This record gives sequence, structure tokens and C-alpha cells, in this order.
Amino acid sequence: MRRLLTAAAMAWLPAAITAVTWAAWSAELPGQLATHWNGTGSANGYSATTTFGATLLVIGILAGCTALAAAVTAARADRGAPPSDSTSVTAASDQSAARRAYYSRFVLAAAGSVGGAAAGIWVATATATLANPADARLGAGFLYFLMGLAWGVAVWAVAGRAAYPLPELSPAGEPLDLSPTERAAYTTTLRSPLITAVLGTGAAVVVVVALTLDAGFWLVALVPLAAAIVFGRIRLTVDRRGLRLVAGLIGVTVKHIPLAEIVSAGAQEINPVEWGGWGYRVVPGRSALVLRAGPGLVLYLTDGRRFAVTLDRPQTPAALITALQTRIHN
Amino acid sequence: MLLRVDVAAAEPLADQIAAQVRGGVMRGDLTPGERLPSARELAEVLDVNLHTVLRAYARLRDESLIELRRGRGAVVRGDADATRLRLAELAREFVREARRQGLEEAEMLAMVREAQP
Repeated sequence: MRRLLTAAAMAWLPAAITAVTWAAWSAELPGQLATHWNGTGSANGYSATTTFGATLLVIGILAGCTALAAAVTAARADRGAPPSDSTSVTAASDQSAARRAYYSRFVLAAAGSVGGAAAGIWVATATATLANPADARLGAGFLYFLMGLAWGVAVWAVAGRAAYPLPELSPAGEPLDLSPTERAAYTTTLRSPLITAVLGTGAAVVVVVALTLDAGFWLVALVPLAAAIVFGRIRLTVDRRGLRLVAGLIGVTVKHIPLAEIVSAGAQEINPVEWGGWGYRVVPGRSALVLRAGPGLVLYLTDGRRFAVTLDRPQTPAALITALQTRIHN
Repeated sequence: MLLRVDVAAAEPLADQIAAQVRGGVMRGDLTPGERLPSARELAEVLDVNLHTVLRAYARLRDESLIELRRGRGAVVRGDADATRLRLAELAREFVREARRQGLEEAEMLAMVREAQP
């Protein structure tokens, strides 16, 4: 509780810094600030000091308010959440409290980052103009912005960790009926029109930005394109060697879990919120390839972690893994 | 889809693999346009000889069930028809049984003709 309030207070600090420095520098600051910089760090855009400062101050204050609200939510949720070392199956209400406790801390830290970044932009801009009003240079001022962003990490650390909400454990299904002389494998192609469309749109937006504003953005377009190539079509294979995910378009193995590292396999409803979102997710204690909400295959691994992948009729690969497992152990 | 072959069974492995793919199309596990694993991949996962899988794929291609393209692997044909497939399966069964009973091709054809109302 106290830690959460301290964290919320910390999230207000950037707004305070903006207000105090603005007051201190107001006499020296000109009516216009250099606020846009080209790749080499010299100014190519200007804004009115009052509008620019006020905008950043308002962002800082909004971030502070958000942080306070998140801290209160987290404190309330903590009272309803199961203890943080609990790994057992817990009631649904405890689950939702654990989820709120986790995500409100995330919002708290994000608010710290946003507020910090706003203050960082203010300090960087103002100091650049103060240093040389005639020819303002961004120079190392960029570091203020990064420091501001990193402030969220400090807020996160002070807020303390909440146990990540655990989805329910699922029992291992019935093994596939496999005779000793039989060889079996499961193979399927996973597609995600949604993720591909989102990434494609992202790449298109970046290209438009590159064409209209800054040619340097061309390289940024490669990121969503590369992701689309990896996630566009994925082949999932289960065989005597274990589970393998291969990026279908380029044939690169993105994940391989040997059969010996799998303790058990089950089918389960995958709620993207519980697994950290869409795409390839890594959260404490587990990782997943989440392409949609719905049925998925969940593997329990020997190191205590879990791996999940969303696919239709996950009972089939689960039963195959269970059968192959029995074969190893007998 | 699930693929399983029995190395101890009398039926050749290539026939078993082809039957599995046919079954997948009939059950709807494999939909038209769906890409099958490459022959090399399938040979690896099932731990069988590459030529066995190639033989199975060639047969499925001859049955107009899949398309084989260099570099693109095997793709279930858009016109792969589950009902027609079922018919072909029955015909194969008929031929197998007729052979076992010592019937010649002409006699089989005659039986099919007689079966028409």
C-alpha cells in the first residue's frame, strides 16, 4: 500500500519538474522554442513556448492522475488477490483480482514513463534553446528524454511486483491409442489473418510516413514486414522429437521443444489477456504463440514453465504428445 | 492433421501415407488449398524413407487430389472432392477384393456394368 502510494507520488515528479523548471527559466526563454530536430540534431521546427510547455505539463499531470488511479486500483486488488507465491488453481474472483493487481501496476509504470518522457522533452528542448537561442542543437539533450522514459522502470520497481495472473491448469488428456510399431506425427499450418493485416497496415503507414516526412523511416518498415513474414504462416509439427514451430514462408525454426522436456500436454481455452497478448509472448513462468482467443495446446515443461499455442482441435496433438510420452517412459 | 503409419502392417508405407492424406481430405481436416508438409519434412517427422513419401505424393497427384510444384511442395487441389474421393476409395476396395478372389480385369468391368440398373 505504502509502496504503491510512493510509486504514484514518483509518477507526479516529472510534472513537478516541468512546472518548476518552466517557472525558473521563464524569464530567459524566448517566445519560440526549437522543437523539431533533423537527423543531425539541428532544429527544423519551432513552437510557441507557452503552447509547447503547457502541452507537456498537461501530459505530465494526466500521467500523474492515471498513476494515482492505478495505484488505488492495485491496492484494492491486492486485498482480493491470492498470495504472490501461489501457483495452485484459484477461484475466478481471485484470478480477476490478480489480473487487476498486475495490470494496474503496469499502467502505473507506463504512466511514470509517459510523464517522465514529457518532462524529458521539456527539459531537453528548453535547455537546448537556453544554451544557444540563435542556433539550438539537440545534442545530448536526447538523453533527458530517455531518462524520462526510464523513470517508468523506477516507478515499476517501487510499486512492487504482483504475481502474474495464472490461467487454470488443465489435466492431461487421454493418450492417443498408438501401437508399438506405429509411427505418428501431427502437422498443421497456423495462420493469422488478423495479425498479418495489422502488420501489413503498420508497414503501409510507415511507408506513407517515409514518403511524406523522412526517408529514414524506410528502415522502420522492415520491422512489421519481418514480423509478418515470420507470423504470416507457421507450420506446427508434433512428432517423436517433440514440438516444432517453423516460420512457413522462410522455413526457419522459431521454437523447438524436445519431447524429453515436456511433462504433459493438454487442451485449454487461451485467453490472450492471461498470456500477455497476441503474437509470440513471454511472461513470467510461461510463453505462448497466441494468434487468436480460443482453444490452444498447452505444454507443461520440465523446468516448470508452460508453453501454449493456439490452434483448432488441440486435443489431437495433446493426445499424440501424451502417447509419445508414454512410449518414452515405458 | 494427424498422420500415422504402422511399419509392421502388410500394407506398403506409401499406401498408408496416401490413405492418411485421403482420409484427411474426406474428414475435412485438410481443406482445398492447404499446403502439405514437403516430402522431405514428412519423411523426417514420420521417420520413413524420402522415396516412400514421394511415391505416396505421386500417387495422390495421379488421383488429382494434390498438386506438386517444384519449390512449393504439395498443395491440396481446389477441386479435391470428398464425395468423389469416397467413390475412388470404394473402387479400390472393390478391385482389391476382386483380385483376392482371382478375378481378371475384364471380369471386374463386367461386374461393374452388371451392377448398373
